[in-house]
Amino acid sequence: MWNAYSIGMAAVLATGVIAFAALALERDDLHRLLLIDLVEIPSLGIIALLGTDLAEALVLPGLVVGIAELLALSHIYLLKEGLRDRPEGYLHIEVVEIGHAPAIIASLLVVYGIILSGFTGGGIAGLGVVFFFMAKGHREDFALLEAAAGISWGIWVASFFVFMFLPEYWYLAVMGAAVGILLKVTAKMSLVGTMWGKPHE
Amino acid sequence: MNSIGGPPLFFLEFGDIMIYFSPYTVALFLLALVFTVLAIVSRPENQVEILFGTDAYYGKEIDVPEMRFRRFMSIACGLACMGAMVTGDLFDFTLFVSLVGICNVGIVAAVKTKHVQNAAFQYGIVALTATVPLFGGAAIAAATTGTLSMIALGSGLAGPAPFITRAALVLGVMGEGMAPFYAAKAEMFRAPGAPYVIMCSFSSLLIFLRVVEVVLTI
Repeated sequence: MWNAYSIGMAAVLATGVIAFAALALERDDLHRLLLIDLVEIPSLGIIALLGTDLAEALVLPGLVVGIAELLALSHIYLLKEGLRDRPEGYLHIEVVEIGHAPAIIASLLVVYGIILSGFTGGGIAGLGVVFFFMAKGHREDFALLEAAAGISWGIWVASFFVFMFLPEYWYLAVMGAAVGILLKVTAKMSLVGTMWGKPHE
Repeated sequence: MNSIGGPPLFFLEFGDIMIYFSPYTVALFLLALVFTVLAIVSRPENQVEILFGTDAYYGKEIDVPEMRFRRFMSIACGLACMGAMVTGDLFDFTLFVSLVGICNVGIVAAVKTKHVQNAAFQYGIVALTATVPLFGGAAIAAATTGTLSMIALGSGLAGPAPFITRAALVLGVMGEGMAPFYAAKAEMFRAPGAPYVIMCSFSSLLIFLRVVEVVLTI
């Protein structure tokens, strides 16, 4: 009766009860917005309890839906409270001497990420790109990053169409999907941390 | 398969994801299609308020970008609705339903009035919490029976889905389909931009109709 699945389910349900109780008791809108994120965790947990490859494939859309709703809600919150960009948003960190970090660290991370490929590789390569940008100052080319993310997403989707309609070319599709997801996660990761700072047009 | 909506007329396969058209789902799909086309071609209305007891009246100005955004949201809502009507995959159904929820939040929230924004925020919180039973129900069905296909679940090959799955699905659709309640609460029907609010109520009605069929089938 008490196998791993039911123990995990009991833990997830306990988390859910805690999260929903917190949401029901909270009265402040901003705190409710933050607690919503906590409520998302049990639903991802239930999906992850499947414990198969399918779980991995189902967690991703669940996560995307959750993040999309959270973004929409925070935008509504900003509108309804009439909050605007503050005039200054820089982090005031005093640096004794500005020196450029060696680009070799960033390039090592990127090369290692490419060798790993897939999600993990994208994360590591993205970390390298973030490190490069942080060391060299803020001069991201947003249009370029967006274009790279869009093209890589196109490769990814095209590979899935190959899986569906031309299954005999699966090896090509695997390679396309791996490269696509690598570029996409890299581009997304290098956007991390650019939200603070000057509002971009 | 023991299909409550009549025998399936046509199957459309995407890998292992099956879309099926039974008389019931075809009817719902066509309704969603017609209303999406109406949302595309209909022109927004200007609102005129009359001051009670006098002859005075004033018209409310609505800017084009706001209308464009609401039209986009209602078209997206219609597309998500069409997907939810015909899909034969339990998880796809929950995804489409939560997409309908997001689009409804967008339709309500496009009105730049304080009390409408408040209602949209509350509805958004309800819609987001409703994704927990939705995804949870689908995942429990997959964990206990090993499949997400409504056809396999309905034919008795994988056995019927557990009761908790059906209860969770209905609960989740109730949460996502709350839009008319919040639209009425915000007096959206008196807010500017008449035709697009219809999509809120209509999509909620459709997902309720479809979840009944899903719950009786699986």
